[in-house]
Amino acid sequence: MLSPAQTAAAAVLGGLLALDGTSVAQVMVSRPFVAAALGGVVVGHPAQGMAIGIVLEALHLAVLPVGASRYPEGGPAAVAAGAVYAAAQAPPAAASATLLIAVLCALALEWIGGRSVIALRQANARFAGAPPEGLTPGALARRHGTPIALDFARGAVLALLGVIGVGALLSAADLSGFPPVAPGTVVRLAAVAGIASALRLFGRANYPFFLAGGAAGALVAWLR
Amino acid sequence: MTALGPGVRRRMLLRSLTVQGSWNYQTLIGTGLAFILVPALREVHAGDPEGLRRALGRHTELFNSHPYLAAVAAGAVARLEADGAPPEMVARFKAAVRGSLGTLGDRLVWLMWRPMAVLLGLGLVLAGAAWWVGAAAFLLVFNALHLWMRAWGLRAGLRDGLQIGATLRSAPFQALGDRAAKVGSALAGFAAALAVAAPGTRPWEWAAGAAAAFLGIVLGPRVRPAAAAAMLLALAAGLVLART
Repeated sequence: MLSPAQTAAAAVLGGLLALDGTSVAQVMVSRPFVAAALGGVVVGHPAQGMAIGIVLEALHLAVLPVGASRYPEGGPAAVAAGAVYAAAQAPPAAASATLLIAVLCALALEWIGGRSVIALRQANARFAGAPPEGLTPGALARRHGTPIALDFARGAVLALLGVIGVGALLSAADLSGFPPVAPGTVVRLAAVAGIASALRLFGRANYPFFLAGGAAGALVAWLR
Repeated sequence: MTALGPGVRRRMLLRSLTVQGSWNYQTLIGTGLAFILVPALREVHAGDPEGLRRALGRHTELFNSHPYLAAVAAGAVARLEADGAPPEMVARFKAAVRGSLGTLGDRLVWLMWRPMAVLLGLGLVLAGAAWWVGAAAFLLVFNALHLWMRAWGLRAGLRDGLQIGATLRSAPFQALGDRAAKVGSALAGFAAALAVAAPGTRPWEWAAGAAAAFLGIVLGPRVRPAAAAAMLLALAAGLVLART
């Protein structure tokens, strides 16, 4: 479980990464594999955070924020799942089952995050447009700044609920006797499928490059 | 005609980072575009607070584009306002460019460049690099294009005004996207193979990995629900086995 200070830090980080997702900068520190590693940093184990981040990122690769499309939100969910999974420090026998549960929780949180983004965008309509007499620069800044503040609060609450909820679930779950190998394999295969799904974005003409890359990856794996 | 100095451009560029801050289903990023334009409109309407209010009100109307290319529109609109173009012409210009700015940016950034940069980061970590090396590689590569697009777009818009269409057609977006797709495809294969590999990987796991990759390619964006269902099944099966 996270300490109160770590929980607060994860919530603030979740808020900041929610802003990065759409509202401010979009430098993509909110991508799941970066966000989950940062969640791991909060509890002092960034590499463990990255481990769950890789799976979440693979399943997020083909998600496109095009136009007014509705999509799952990766940042705050990855922070929460990364922090909780890294803090759990599960023993080897339960590690893959813990990872499986954390990934599933993160996917659910991503879906909730996506829904909350839609709700916020609907609420933002009250700040849209202008009265007939126009707007002063100050009034415009308030109409633009209030939704940004709300987005931060939304992300922080989501990360906070995620840390508390996923943490409680992992603490309560009795994973003794869970088959040690199968969950890890399933998670790895899900990551492979997610990574390969990116090929749909790049187009069929590029399949030979995918195969060449796969051969290079297999060679690297064989050599080490 | 009003000259817009480098200070105005700097402030507009900084403000462009928040263009989607007030995204809503009524005017999309209209308020964000008006927010970017404030420094330019302050110069254009210096000493005319009523004119400034009316101009800001006009620019909160519906607008949409790719967020990184919104700076192109903001720069061109600022140029038109500085040149004293009538409001109707500015409105027509905004309506004309918003579709193409969205399509151009979506294809290059979301479809090609971002997945390619993400796969570079993933590939590095899966190949054994430290977590921060993968994250830093992704952020550097991705943001090299991102920040260039914002800065170049604003400069080009301010310079070319109504002629921005010709500038956009001559920009190397198509070629850049095609190259990113090739590199990204190779990186996807590389990362997928390394994701299968783990110490002691058995032959059936390699075969299962190849099948998973095939399924991922076939499913595309629908891979998320399919993977979630498979993991839920694995969890349920594990729980049953653990109790028996």
